[in-house]
This record gives sequence, C-alpha cells and structure tokens, in this order.
Amino acid sequence: MKHLININVNGDNYELAVKPGTTLLDLLREDLRLTGTKKGCELGDCGACTVIMDGKAVNSCLVLAIEADGKKIETIEGLAKGEELHPIQQAFVEKGAIQCGYCTPGIIMRTKSILDKNPNPSEDQIKLELSGNLCRCTGYTKIVEAVKTARDYMNGKKPEKLEFMPQKSAINLSVVGKRLPKIDAPDKATGRAIYTDDISLPNMIYGKLLLSPVPHARIRSINTEKALKLPGIKVILTGADVPDVRWGTSPPRYDETILAKDKVRFVGDVVAAVAAIDEETCYRALKLIEVDYEELPAVFDPMEAMKEGAPRLFDDKYENNINTHVNHHFGDIEKGFAEADHIREQRFTGNRTYQNPMEPHCSIAEWDRHGRVTLYTSTQVVHYVHHQISHILNIPLGDIRVIMTNCGGGFGAKAATTAIEVMSIFLAKQAGCAVKMRFSREEMYLFGRGRHKQYIDLKIGVKKDGTITAVKQKAILEGGAYSSFGIVSTYYAGSMLTTLYKFPNYKYDGFRVNTNLPPCGAFRGHGCPHPRFAFESLLSMIADDIGMDPIDIRLKNAMEPEYHTCNDLDIHSCEFTACLEVVRKKSGWDSKRGKLPRGYGIGIGCGGFVSGAGYPIYRSKFPHSSAIIKVTEDGSKAILFIGDADIGQGSDTVLAMAACEAMGISYERISVVSADSDLTPIGFGAYSSRVTLMGGNAAKMAGEEVKKQIMAAAAEILKTDESKLDTKENKVYVKDDPSIFIPWEQAGFSHFSKKGPLLGKGHYSPPEGLGGKYKGAAIGTSPAYSFSATVCEVKVDMETGKVNVLNFWDAHDCGTAINPMLVEGQAEGAVLMGMSETLFENEVFDKNGKMLNPDLHNYLIATSADMPVIDSSIVDSYENAGPYGAKEVGEGATLPVLGAIANAVADAIGVRIFDLPITPQRVLEAIHSLKNDKS
Amino acid sequence: MLIPDFTYYRPITLKEAIRLLEEKNDSVLMAGGTDLLVEIKKGLRNHENVISLSKIEVLKIISENDHEIFIGAGITHNELITSPIISANLPALADAASKIGSHQVRNTGTIGGNLCTAASCCDTAPILLALNARLEIADTTGVRTMPLKDFFVFNKKTILKKGEIVTRIIIPRLNEETGAHYEKFGLREAGSISVVSAAAMVKLHEGTVTDACIVIGAVAPQPKISYAATRLLKDKKVSDLFESSPVLDEIGEAAAGDSVPIDDIRGGAKYRRDILKVLTRRAIVKAIGFAETKRN
Repeated sequence: MKHLININVNGDNYELAVKPGTTLLDLLREDLRLTGTKKGCELGDCGACTVIMDGKAVNSCLVLAIEADGKKIETIEGLAKGEELHPIQQAFVEKGAIQCGYCTPGIIMRTKSILDKNPNPSEDQIKLELSGNLCRCTGYTKIVEAVKTARDYMNGKKPEKLEFMPQKSAINLSVVGKRLPKIDAPDKATGRAIYTDDISLPNMIYGKLLLSPVPHARIRSINTEKALKLPGIKVILTGADVPDVRWGTSPPRYDETILAKDKVRFVGDVVAAVAAIDEETCYRALKLIEVDYEELPAVFDPMEAMKEGAPRLFDDKYENNINTHVNHHFGDIEKGFAEADHIREQRFTGNRTYQNPMEPHCSIAEWDRHGRVTLYTSTQVVHYVHHQISHILNIPLGDIRVIMTNCGGGFGAKAATTAIEVMSIFLAKQAGCAVKMRFSREEMYLFGRGRHKQYIDLKIGVKKDGTITAVKQKAILEGGAYSSFGIVSTYYAGSMLTTLYKFPNYKYDGFRVNTNLPPCGAFRGHGCPHPRFAFESLLSMIADDIGMDPIDIRLKNAMEPEYHTCNDLDIHSCEFTACLEVVRKKSGWDSKRGKLPRGYGIGIGCGGFVSGAGYPIYRSKFPHSSAIIKVTEDGSKAILFIGDADIGQGSDTVLAMAACEAMGISYERISVVSADSDLTPIGFGAYSSRVTLMGGNAAKMAGEEVKKQIMAAAAEILKTDESKLDTKENKVYVKDDPSIFIPWEQAGFSHFSKKGPLLGKGHYSPPEGLGGKYKGAAIGTSPAYSFSATVCEVKVDMETGKVNVLNFWDAHDCGTAINPMLVEGQAEGAVLMGMSETLFENEVFDKNGKMLNPDLHNYLIATSADMPVIDSSIVDSYENAGPYGAKEVGEGATLPVLGAIANAVADAIGVRIFDLPITPQRVLEAIHSLKNDKS
Repeated sequence: MLIPDFTYYRPITLKEAIRLLEEKNDSVLMAGGTDLLVEIKKGLRNHENVISLSKIEVLKIISENDHEIFIGAGITHNELITSPIISANLPALADAASKIGSHQVRNTGTIGGNLCTAASCCDTAPILLALNARLEIADTTGVRTMPLKDFFVFNKKTILKKGEIVTRIIIPRLNEETGAHYEKFGLREAGSISVVSAAAMVKLHEGTVTDACIVIGAVAPQPKISYAATRLLKDKKVSDLFESSPVLDEIGEAAAGDSVPIDDIRGGAKYRRDILKVLTRRAIVKAIGFAETKRN
C-alpha cells in the first residue's frame, strides 16, 4: 500500500504517494528526477547519495522515503543560485577536486553540512568528517584543499595564492601547461552532469541478470514458466534464445558466451536475463526461474588448477587450465647470473583487487524502426564496445551507435564490453522498447575484471657496484573463469619490467591459469603493479645486502633516453634520474634513511608505463585516435569531436587544451563532444594510458588544420601572405609586427561566409613496426614511456601491526604536463589507490567460490581519514612523440606505490612482508617472527 | 537492490508500538534503519510488518538525576556525541559512539538499534557494559529493567521476546576518581568494523584501583565482561599500571584468556587474541588517565 507523504526538497513542497520500501534516494532520483544525488553502493558505505535532511547529512539510500515525511531535504540541485555557483562548488571546480564527479554531489553536500555546523574546521577535522564519502579518483588531496578553500571563501577570506612554476617546455605556450579547471567540472559540481543511470527514456523498461549460485556446473535445464507468468514481465532469455557466439576482449581468447550455454564456471556467471516494467518485478522473476545444475568439482587455486587431473573449466582448450603461457628469454640469463657478484631470489604474492569505480555500470539499449540500435553506456572504450557488439550481433558498425555518457570512473573495470551492454541490446530487441540494466555493487565485483593475483618468483643478479646483470621472473596469474584481458595482462607482467632499469639478460615465464572465480582483467597499471612491487622490494633487499643506498642502486641502473631494451622496446624521452633526485631531496632521504626510530620507516619505489599501447586489442588499421573540429559560423567557438573517453581523468579538458593551443584560441572558446560513435570519429578510448598522447596528437592535428584555414582567411583580410601570420590568444597577427592583427573569430566568420564550414581533421597512429619480432613482442610497445619515483614514510604500531602512511613524495616524468593540476590529480589519486591496494584490499572467497566481501563494507578502500600528505612533482621533460611533448601519468603513477610502502614498512619493523595486502596481522606476525628468531 | 514489500506502521506512542508488535506476525522494529535496511537489501531478512520508532518522542530524550543518566533508545549516535549531558558525564560513551560508521550513519543509527542488532563487534556495548549500564524494557505488562550484561545471548541474538521494546539505557553516574575508555581496532582510520575492541572502567582511591570492569568486543559471540581481567585489575596500585608493566601484561593475558575469537576476513583468532591484550592495556591506561584528571 502506498502512503501519502509531504516533503520539502530544496524549498519546494511535494505531496507524493510512496511505497513503504522506497528509499529517499529512489524518490529523489526516480520520482522527482533529481538525479544529481548518486547511487553508489546502496548500503550506506560510500556516501554518494548524501543529502541533508533537516540540517543533517544522511545516506539517502538508507532512509525510507516515508520516514522523510514532513522533512526538509537539501540536494545538490538546490545549492547554486541560478548560474551562480555556491562557494563550495566554486572551490571544488577551481581546485581540481572533481574528476569522474560521481562522488562529487555527495561530498559537496557533506561539505555543506560540515561548514554549516563548524565554519572553521581544521584540516584534520575535514579529513575525518569527510570519511563517510568515498572517492576513488582524487586521492582526496584536492578535495580537502577545496573544502579549506570553500571554508575561506565563506569566511570572507581569500585563499592563499598558489605559487606555480611552469615546466620549461610550457613557458612559451598560452593554453598548454596552465592549471585550468576541468571543462566538465561546473556540471559535475551542480549535479547536472548526466551519467547513464540518470537517463530515463520514454517507455523504458528494466533488465536484470540471473547469476549462477554455484562455482562449476553443467546446466541440465532451465525452466522459466513460473517467472513468465509474473505480471509485468516482458522478456526472459536463456542461453537457448541467443546466438551461439564466442566473445570476449582479446580475439585469440574469445571464450565467453552471451548467456551460459551448457556450463557455468563461477559464482556470478550469467545464466539468464529478464526484462520487466520495473526492477522489482525483475528481481521477483529471477527468484522464479528454476535452473537444474549438475554440480562439478571446482578449483580456486591456480597451483591446484595446473595439476594433472584438476577439474577443467574448458574441455576443448586451455590444457591444465593454463589459459596463456609466455616464455621469453632475452640476452643470456646463464651468462648474466654468472657475471653477478650477488644474486637473490624471492617469492612474492599479490592480491586480488577490484577497481571499484564509484559509478556502477549501467547501460540502456534502444532499437529504432530501421534496425539500428543505440546503446548508452558507462564505458571507457566506446570503440571496442562498438566493435564487439558488431561482432556479436553480426551487423555492421553503421547500424550501432554507442554513446558514452559521463562515466563515473573506470580504472579498467569498464575497459571492455560487459554482460549488461550485450544483454540490454538483446532484451530491447525482444521487448521492442528501451531497456535499462545496471549492476549493483555486488554484481560489479562478480562481473569482475579486477587485478589478477600474481605469484611471482623473482631473481636478480648484481655486480658489486650494484649493476644489474640478469633478471629472471616467473609469474603465475590467477585468472578466474574467462580470458578477458588476461592474455595481455600475462605479457605485460613480463614485458614492462625492462623499462625502468637497464639490464641485458632477462627471462620471463608467465602462466595465466583459469579458476572457478570471477574473471580478472585490466586494472590500472595492467599486469605490472605486482611484478613491480616484487622488483622494487627485491632491489632494495639487494641494496641492503651489498651495503648500497636503495636510491643509489636505482640511479646506477636507471633508464636513460634513447635506449633499446633487451626485449626490443624503444625508450625515447626519459627523465627517470631527475625523478629519483627530486624525491631524494624533497623527502630528506639522506637524513632519514636508516636513522628513523623503531616503528618509523622510509622506502623508495619506482614505476613507469606505456603512453598508449603500440597496437590495438584486435588487428585493425584504424587510426588509434581521431578528431574533428568544427568552428561555429561566427567564429566564436570551436567544437572538438573526439572519440576518446573522459572517464574522469580529464581527457576532454586536456584534448581541448591541445586543440586550443594548436588553433591559437583561449580555453573558454572550446567545447567538447566526446565518445559518441555517431558524432565523433573513432578513438580507442581510455585504457593503456593512451589518451593524452594519442588523442592529444589527433586534437592538435585537427587544430592545426583549422589554424591553416584561419590564417588563409586572415591573410585575405590583412592583404598579406599567410606564411607571415600566426595565431595566439584569439588573434591572428603578423609575426613581424604583432600590433597588426584581426580577431580570430573575424577570420573564422570570413572563412565560413566564403568557403562554408570551417573544419579540421586529425588522426594519430603509433609509428609502424614498434617492437621486436618474437611472439608477444607487440605488448609493451608504445610511442613513449613515463617514469616516476616515490618516497614513502610510514609509522607502524609495533604492537598491533597497523601501518600509518604519513607522507609520499612523488615525482613524475610525464613529458610536458598539458594541465599540471590534472596531472597532480592523477598522481594523488594513483598514490592513494595504490596505498589502498597495498594495505587494505583483497577479494576473499569461501570454499565454494562465493565472494565474502562484494561490497564497500567488508572490502575496504581508503577514506579521507587514511590519506597521507602527498607532495607530487613534475620534472622537466619533453617527449617528441607527444603533443607539445606530453606523455602519460595515469597508470604509471600507481606502480611505484606498492614497493615504496613495502620498503618503508620493512625499514620500520626490520623484517619484510612479501605478500599483499600488507595487513596489520601480517605485519604483527612478521614482527613476532623476528622476536622469535632472536630469542 | 530490492526492498520487498512490507506493511509500514509509524506509531506515535510506545503503547501503540508494543500493541502492534504483539499483534502483527512477522514484525520488526525499525529505529535508524542503518542495519535493518542493509540486511533487507542484501536479502538476509525480510519482514511482513515494519514498525517504525521514528515518531515516538519519548525514545529521543536524554535525562539525568542525581544517580543516573537516562538515554532514550532512539537517540542517534551523533545526538549522543553532541549531548551536553553525555559530554559532561559520560565522555567515554560519546567517544565510543564517534567511532561508529560514518557521520551519515551516526546521524540516523541509534544507540538502541546498535544494542538490539547485537553484533559481536558492536561499538556501544563494551563501554556501556564497563559502565554497568542497565536497559529499560517495555511490554504490554509494563516496564522492567535488567543489566545490559544479561541482554546479549549470542551474535545478533538478545533475550528480547516478542512484544518487547528497549526504551532506555540507564547508566549510573560515575563517582569522582572514576574513568573509562573504549579502545577500538579497525582496519582503516574511519568507517570500519571493529576487529577487536576493549573497554575499561576504573575507580581509584588513594592510588589504588578500588573497582574496575574490563569488557572485550568482537572476540566472542557477544561483547562480554572479562571477569578474569577485571579481578586482576582490582586492588592494583596505579603505579604498577603503566604501559608495558608486567601487571598490565598479565591483565591483558587474562582478557585474552576470556576471549573465544574466530578467524574471519578481518583477522585470525590468534591475531585477535594478540591485539586484544594490547587494546586491554591501552584502555586501562587511558581510563586511569581520565580518572586521575578528574581527581585533579
């Protein structure tokens, strides 16, 4: 029975009939269509749904709408006065506190409730008070800065002016190199930014997936009869109703079916899909579908899975469940170790972690009467979804439109096609109307594609002076049930060890093993963080062994520019040494190393990554990125159409800045349309840290094409030769006498009037022939590589084993930082995420393969209260292959973190942890083991 | 996530609430809803009738007399933290409440709900047990009180019978020279479940502990008093109870001896025992610190 309630939202009174079970969150989002309040976890753990109720911040997902009867609710939509932003919103925009924006409305509302109560909170109070609002992008650093700035604004104080020294490579540029607010920040700060779940199409129904409750079974039968009788049910599909197509991520390993055909392979495998008039009916229907499972023995441990006689996930492939095997040998490992004066070998174990973007995946599919389907989806990779849907449906790309709405973070979780993208399309076809499907937080974990847990045996040999002579690595990757990105992950785990330090002899054995667990995929740093953790740990151990400073041993072997690695990767720009020197100085390393009291420790870790994969995921001759710029007929604005996806990292902003610089216009004169396969030319999307370099080059090239036409038009007006002209800051001027100029828009207007549309086109493909000739040589290739170093200082409670990370000093060679504020945001976010993975995160399963912590209550991620002080530096660097000299920072910045913390903990407690995560229990056990050894 | 249909009642008097609870089959009380709604959404429980306590004003009062402090069961954690009566008289309880969940959860979750959920890792019970709290329970026959220590039966199970509502928590005023402290160990700095917790109450007189209570949390099916540790602490000289003193070590060991922890995703049983010793010692030292501050 519905109840009538009266509620005041943002000053407006509403009389509404609500079901008792409707939450305040659903009332706001679905009934009042105030979609600024976000749904992140639905269980009160993330704070994305924070609103203010009678002056108090509450999680609207845990308040029944009926209990809000008679109350006054404030949401993000009520904060700005018309177009005038509230000081909190203003501060969040200016300070770069917004990335994907999904947590932003909740955090802004929480900030308001903090400042309403206490106009002068200290930094520590802010960090503690904000801890109920999780953010996965920013590392909280800029959020806390924004709250302090908002506090000062509201107290009538002007915030301190930031001292900022531009990089050398950006000194003569007018847009690139500037700390500009993100182009989408005002929309995200006001709740206006539309994410997929915020869309409601006319006659739209909902879909849900039936997931397997057993880890391994043959499906004897599925009976949908009872479910189909449920009022409101529109469609039920099982494996028998959909084409028998194999799909996946990497073509040599397409091994997923659209719905389970005969077998399920993990708890969470997709068995059936239903569509109904609402989600509630879907859930009821799922309970009524009867599946008869013939349970099969299951295997969860990769070592067990590889043994003869272990249960096989696939009868027809992957012998011994080995899904991928890599066997690489470069140089001569025997000779290398023979030359070494000191050799050390160690086993390291990683952890199974999940990306946890704050926005759960959501997709809406709708077919038109011409047999064309439109898919709105929260993805990182519009083109790969486009390509995969074309493969699955066997229809051309032209009959499919994929639109990425705003995307609330990805980190790899949205880097490939998902089950709901595929199934919403099938359900919509059958139902004849639009179908929306969304994952709950639990379903996100079960769909998986998080980080592979790696078991790494690493051996390094060095000479007396620390020179590395040989490296041998064996990695076993626990892969879960399907391949996903796994083949690439397995190669990356080996190939990327060679980019930081120069060594001539290297052997890598990689095995990816299928288990009856959710499939693993690509998570920030793809395949590399665990090997890098192992390497950085072992290198510091070796430095200790031979009495060398850990930074000195790194400097001794540090990569240098224009180096050809033993596995045929070509390093061009490289300022790794500068990174090491910066963090050594800033952290006070030389006065701290070995001199801190017991329980305090300092450690170094390094990393680096590709600036975009050299080759696409499937064989394709398309440019990796492409761009079109259209200048409005009056010349007042340029609109950049680009296929690459802004998942919060800020690519719309960075690409717009590159285009502005190329055209000679200022930042406020550009607007961006991105990641819509109908409107924007192909871009491979946001993965492998490729967008700044590749999308940036495409945007720059398009901008240059516009500039050429603008100068031709201006030359006619100024009656001069266009070679004598240049553009800058919205002017077209004579190079020899800049006082002679016309406004840029005048030239644009003139061009349009005489020649029609003013368009520029650009595209980018990496140089041909990157990498060696051996099998798998393509993986690890890139036009450019990033480098970074970080020093971390920790405090360890010697009685409980709890690690408190106090400081990070990190330095990055990302070439020219197109937008230094965004680079810092990436670095700070990467540091915190890396710290969270190192200390807290781990997926845990029971003996039947059921995940025990698929939520944000038991799977902990770092909060603002855990945040260390992060001091990020960008070193001077210029990469010829990058737009204005730019390279990546998004993934490379994660890599140093794990090893740095492990090294700092080892320094603090005098004994080393080899397994992730570094939990208090492991630390305490290590401390006790040391005591026992001594006694 | 699905919240299955239920019938919703929002009584405005206690009497009405008790009547509904008696009359309606498969009914459940909802205070702040921060535990109940989570369990319903996760499909762990489901009720035909939900009786909301949100309109019963009598459950939202904090009062005091010369001997006792009375806390309405419907008081939220943040109301506890900001209550002048609680800050003045039971700062250790306010401190314990501040360690629960997030600010948002503390704005809706209530002390009564926290106790009635009866999780072994519950954050308000240890300090309340240490402070010798009693519960006021109402049913159709009237009102009775009982010691909190007899309330918990097992993890998530209390002695409450159908038709009974916890209405108030009654805590005796602390005498001079009495101090208390709740020590929580979670895996991150905020918003985490207690892996282990310990609460201590000490009453001092002329440098000696004349009365004490040690409570251990998340190391047994329910929060419980460690009688062994409590016994050892009584009559000890404060001068023997400093960080890492042998006496304190012994008390920590005794607390661990009373624990029956389990292995779960937050920590192993042995680890829990190890840090229980540490937390017990820390809680005692801090409680003594508070008692001594009061004397001065």
